[in-house]
Amino acid sequence: MTSSHGHHAFHLVDMSPWPLTGSISAMMLTTGLVKWFHQFNPDLLVLGVVATTLTMIQWWRDITREGTYQGLHTKAVTIGLRWGMILFITSEVLFFFSFFWAFFHSSLSPNVEVGSCWPPAGIQTFNPFQIPLLNTAILLASGATVTWAHHAIMEANYTQSVQGLSITVILGMYFTALQALEYYEAPFTIADSVYGSTFFVATGFHGLHVIIGSTFLSVCLYRLYKCHFSSSHHFGFEAAAWYWHFVDVVWLFLYISIYWWGG
Amino acid sequence: MASLIARSLVLNSRRGVQLTSVRFANKMMADPVEHATGLEKQELLSKAAGNENPFDMRVYKRVSGDQTNPTSVPSFYDRRLVGCICEEDATSINWMWLEKGESKRCECGYWFQLQDAKPMV
Repeated sequence: MTSSHGHHAFHLVDMSPWPLTGSISAMMLTTGLVKWFHQFNPDLLVLGVVATTLTMIQWWRDITREGTYQGLHTKAVTIGLRWGMILFITSEVLFFFSFFWAFFHSSLSPNVEVGSCWPPAGIQTFNPFQIPLLNTAILLASGATVTWAHHAIMEANYTQSVQGLSITVILGMYFTALQALEYYEAPFTIADSVYGSTFFVATGFHGLHVIIGSTFLSVCLYRLYKCHFSSSHHFGFEAAAWYWHFVDVVWLFLYISIYWWGG
Repeated sequence: MASLIARSLVLNSRRGVQLTSVRFANKMMADPVEHATGLEKQELLSKAAGNENPFDMRVYKRVSGDQTNPTSVPSFYDRRLVGCICEEDATSINWMWLEKGESKRCECGYWFQLQDAKPMV
């Protein structure tokens, strides 16, 4: 144990290559997108995706090593991580806010080009009481199961925590599968007027966040299985649960405004 | 198959979920202090021993603080940043470097000196 570190509660991290590889891979993603759009060549983009994925895996692996295996996450460090996650989720809320703004901008006062009505003339919208309602039930249920898992962790009940988190991950995958099916079966595309644009961009980014959240929860399930969490220290799980609840709330807004009111 | 499922459902609902014989026994997780390691463990052990402030994060109260009796500021190194809140309603903190050996006076009149600190954890 390094004696010099007992002097303060904070974590001054060791040198790491991941911020550099992360920024290079982000640059490859953005430039790769442009290259794909303008020169029809996706190679740089693919390289960017691979590089970003490798960076994420190794960076978060290192954080797990620092916290769980080295014990460097004191109370003060965990509080900092909490604030970080809160601020990140807040930035995501603002991100989705912009897409809702776009939707309401176009739908509250529909252009003559779409027929001065919403949904636009000729658009066959989804029946909000079919698959979208099932998806709502799935996400709400998954919010309950993740809370069940959390309470099980806090009560040091390993069995129920694994059960709760497993069901949560399965429900997340079920949502993604159903939504993918909806996308496949949709009678309109992203190119179909501003309706298509707002629908697919908003629900598309939401779906991406469901996949991100499901991945985060799956990693937590793996860590839970490997006994990384204790009943009083399991911030990785809490962060995943917060993110999952955020994804659920965004869906509720999407369902009410785009599927129901806008349909 | 259906009768097997129905039978297990009936048996389990009578016994309650807690007693249901699932494939793995109702395993519990390790004690948090036992599970911890490194600095976090030292922090937890310190707290368990009654020291609520193992890293000495509290705000120090000044003593009379004139040149003959400066306030002692503990430090592990030869210099430390000290921030003086001159009066209770002060809207800013007066920061100064405190070097080992020499006392220093804040503009409000209070004196500080560096003192060797003993490791907290």
